Amino acid sequence: MDNQETPEIRKKTKYGQTAGIGIALSLAVCLLILLTAIRAGSVYISIPDLLKIIGSHITGKPLPQEVDPMNDSIFWSIRMPRAITAFLVGGALSVSGAVMQAVLQNPLASSYTLGVSSGASLGAAFVLLCGLSFAGMESFMLPLAGFVFGLLTVVAAILLASRIDRSVSNQTIVLIGVILSLFVTGIMNLLMTFYGDKSKQLWLWMTGSFSARNWTHCAVLFGAGIFGFVILMMFSGRLDILTFGELQASSMGVEVKKTKIIAMLVCSLLTGVSVAFSGVIGFIDLAAPHVVRKIFGPSHKIVIPMSFIYGGAFMALCDLASRTLLSPREIPVGAVTALVGAPFFAYVFFAKGRRKA
Amino acid sequence: MEILLKNVSAGYDSEKVLHDVNLSIREGETVFIGGRNGSGKTTLLRVMSGLMDFEGSVTIGGDEISKMKRRNAARLIALMPQAGEMYFQYTVYQTVLLGRYARTNGLFGNFSTEDKEEAKAAMEACGVYEYKDRLLNELSGGQLQRVLLARTFAQGTPFLFLDEPGSSLDIKYRAELCDYLAKWAEKKTSTPFGDVKNTIVAVFHDLAQARSICERTVFMKNGRIVADGKSSEVITPECLESVYDFDVAGYIERQVIIR
Repeated sequence: MDNQETPEIRKKTKYGQTAGIGIALSLAVCLLILLTAIRAGSVYISIPDLLKIIGSHITGKPLPQEVDPMNDSIFWSIRMPRAITAFLVGGALSVSGAVMQAVLQNPLASSYTLGVSSGASLGAAFVLLCGLSFAGMESFMLPLAGFVFGLLTVVAAILLASRIDRSVSNQTIVLIGVILSLFVTGIMNLLMTFYGDKSKQLWLWMTGSFSARNWTHCAVLFGAGIFGFVILMMFSGRLDILTFGELQASSMGVEVKKTKIIAMLVCSLLTGVSVAFSGVIGFIDLAAPHVVRKIFGPSHKIVIPMSFIYGGAFMALCDLASRTLLSPREIPVGAVTALVGAPFFAYVFFAKGRRKA
Repeated sequence: MEILLKNVSAGYDSEKVLHDVNLSIREGETVFIGGRNGSGKTTLLRVMSGLMDFEGSVTIGGDEISKMKRRNAARLIALMPQAGEMYFQYTVYQTVLLGRYARTNGLFGNFSTEDKEEAKAAMEACGVYEYKDRLLNELSGGQLQRVLLARTFAQGTPFLFLDEPGSSLDIKYRAELCDYLAKWAEKKTSTPFGDVKNTIVAVFHDLAQARSICERTVFMKNGRIVADGKSSEVITPECLESVYDFDVAGYIERQVIIR
């Protein structure tokens, strides 16, 4: 009997009041991971020393005597930008994955599966190989190329899909995305053969790496990330409704076409910038939103920020693993995300079937 | 206010489903759309709510619906869809509250207290308030249909388009739905365009249910309107036979339920 349950008890179920605790806990774990990602490695640093380093850079005051200046350059110039870049890339990719899944009503959609990532990497490769750059634009060339090529890939996928299937069903787009992604990977392989001297660099691009990232990378990523995040948050209600299908969304007052185009543009921007600074790192953008939805429910007002936190934390963790596990050798971070993530994702996905409520 | 269709044709891909349809729905009417599967009933509802491309003209209160902002159209017309599969698992409450989207404002589109109260009222009217925290995939077909109905009511529009609203409901809920709709049809709804008498346009396959709610009947066959008028005058043995291609009256007579 349903009536025996008091309303007070029911209130707390399903993404209710527990959400606040979940968010606080997630933020705490995320901070811990970020701290570990910065501190772990061959050189040790105490937390007070780390805080002193950060403090001196933020306030502009000289470094206190007791802190080793060597540590300052290791942590401030190498490890922190690296960890934060990884975090921002993971977050941006996951947010764009969450949004693409909603826009296409397809749980398998992500920048990686739709070919946006490989498209962006191709753009970045062109810039790299041709040495293309405008004066004063050096740090923006890669993200710009990533964005443009990522966007071109999506447009190509949608155009191609509309040729094959006039109603442009979302399944078709995903299928075309996979095909395009394979095609672009082929081109990248070809480029590697022709430019043998740069093949190591290109290979790093295709498997992903966060080594030697600096604060400029962080700043560009942060800017693009905040911009995309705010716009997508403004779209959160529309995205919720879109998951019910385009027809229902339209009947409930959503401008479907406009929403889809803007959301895909913003996702391409987030993906393009991320890929330009990190290479192609698959899987996190697919998995993080699923994990978040399982914990917090599907409402985008919470899925978007939490995907950022979870995707970022997971990427920072994977980068930590990539540089420490086989130290001093580095494992490509894309390999780590897939190795760690795939079984985890399989567990999350299939456990859903077993659990009833 | 009036919805007016002039020479409307529409279809999917190369196949035309509606041919040259002319129809006028005035506020306050209760209209039953009948016909066989594939006769164009659902397409007609979609075209009238401005959800798909068409040739010809569809106006509501004189405004071309294809040029209206969706947000404004959604303040006038709510369409209850046939239930489909859902991957994203919202709770019943979240789902019904989304029906209020067209009324939200502000950058981040938060729902107001009024929105929440209206969603609650709609859930209560459809008997789903007790499941409000359940996920959509935990519901039976009939429960899901009532949730979609509640979401459609929550939209708070004077024009209510229903596509087989009772198809998965048990007999008690069907009877309750009919009573509720009949009562609702007597009222008015305030919209940004002024007060409008409540209007129902519904597709049913249960003729008795249709007859109990709708004063006007429109029959469709092969994408054309073949009969239109007062239900009591249109629903005749001859007309039913020509619309459904078999002896409907004889079939209904032979049906034995309680004797």
